[in-house]
Amino acid sequence: MLEVRDLSASYGAVKALDGVSFDAADGQITAVLGANGAGKTTLLRTLSGLVRPTAGSARLGSTDLLRTPVEEMTRTGLAHVPEGRGVITELTVEENLRLGALGAPSGGERRFDVDRVTELFPVLGQRRHQVADTLSGGERQMLVIGRALLAEPRILLLDEPSLGLAPRVVAQIFALLRDLVSSTGLSVLLVEQNARSALGIADVGIVLNLGRLVVQQAADTLVDDDQLRHAYLGF
Amino acid sequence: MQQLLTTTLTGLVLGAVYAAFALALVMIWRSTRVVNFAQAPMAMLTTYIALVIIEAGHSFWLGFVAALLAGLVLGAVVERVLVRPVEGKGDLNAVILTLGLFIVLHSVAALVFGSRYRSFPAPFGVRGIEVGGTTVALTGFGIFTILAVVVVMGLLVLLFRFTDVGLRMRASAHSPEVARLLGVRVGRMLTLGWALAAVVGSLAGLLIAGGGLVHPGYMDAVVVYGFVAAVLGGLDSPGGAVAGGVLLGLCLSFVSGYLGSELVAMAALLILVAVLLVKPSGLFATTAHRRV
Repeated sequence: MLEVRDLSASYGAVKALDGVSFDAADGQITAVLGANGAGKTTLLRTLSGLVRPTAGSARLGSTDLLRTPVEEMTRTGLAHVPEGRGVITELTVEENLRLGALGAPSGGERRFDVDRVTELFPVLGQRRHQVADTLSGGERQMLVIGRALLAEPRILLLDEPSLGLAPRVVAQIFALLRDLVSSTGLSVLLVEQNARSALGIADVGIVLNLGRLVVQQAADTLVDDDQLRHAYLGF
Repeated sequence: MQQLLTTTLTGLVLGAVYAAFALALVMIWRSTRVVNFAQAPMAMLTTYIALVIIEAGHSFWLGFVAALLAGLVLGAVVERVLVRPVEGKGDLNAVILTLGLFIVLHSVAALVFGSRYRSFPAPFGVRGIEVGGTTVALTGFGIFTILAVVVVMGLLVLLFRFTDVGLRMRASAHSPEVARLLGVRVGRMLTLGWALAAVVGSLAGLLIAGGGLVHPGYMDAVVVYGFVAAVLGGLDSPGGAVAGGVLLGLCLSFVSGYLGSELVAMAALLILVAVLLVKPSGLFATTAHRRV
């Protein structure tokens, strides 16, 4: 369970996050929605330690995330897939995946290994020894999700996984995410511009506007609320 | 014919040393985007450490190993203490820092070891091997030089390709932020990278010194040649650095053998200018298309 309370962060004088509080339960997908500049990416970057918060708290189970250095995050069970995918293009597909596994918490049960990930994403198996630079956008997204899974996370932070991908590929990846969450009890924080697709697989949606959390609702309620949709989600 | 063979063999031996030195420069450039001009006096200093140990009556090999270990420590200390604080504060700062360190280490060596020329022993013959009555320019130490460089490069390839540490180091060099998010302690990897590069640099220092003379400035020309070799191969490409080193060694040996040794430095600079004009990313760059 991720518990975020009164989280604030700024870039210089600009408040990017302003007292954000919410919970993200295990085994659920929480869609984080809102316009450009609403603070979605900053929220993820603050949770994973890349941005220093100015106030508030964030706990993952018994771990105080705000006191955990970035390099320790995967060992506490948090995996962050940054915007723009974060494939290391100079390494091969397999090396990217190996790197993910190196970050897994020691001890602990392993749900994923490279073989299991290539089963989930067969195309990664076919491209296993290729340099990641040769992958298509959709394949890269599969690679970074697979790599994050190898770190055996309790919570997965995904920043705009649909960016620049064909709708068919997005649907495929989202369906797979949904299955994974149902079968493993993983928790996902899904930042998306593509609100409609995200709410299609999410359990809960939260909406940020200018750094503030304005709505937290069950995903299907959010989809049905015309007023909210028009005001914040643009569809 | 005799001269052609001699020139080629001399060039290969020199090339091996330039390759090692260029590789040290490239390892540091790839991971921290710093051209470490202090690589030369760092190698000079560690060679003096070997010399002191050998002159105290210990074996050549003890001095050899001690110099490499000293390089490891020196590289780590320089990165951790001097380079780290200026990281991310303008590319030029770190380069000026390494130039400053260049001068400081020179003075330190002159103070501690004196600035006179001292001869450095070689564990193998430094006279040409005799093949069928004629003497070939390849010396025992020359063979050792090539072997040592090949072995070190092989070890580095094994490290980077097949070990977890090597994978972490490559990830840190290519995408530090992503590497951190994957649980890699990037700072430690950069320190380790500098340390290993300094070992390779120290090896080059020892190989240049073997059977010759050392003084505080004896490596200064090598940093220029190493840099030219690295640019020739593409500063981003370890394989290119090695190829560039060998190529440069051969070129300079031919210039020296056929045109005159006083033209060597000028030839090196001409090659540098030519590469920068014609193919600035280097002859063997693998990441010329890289989107930074």
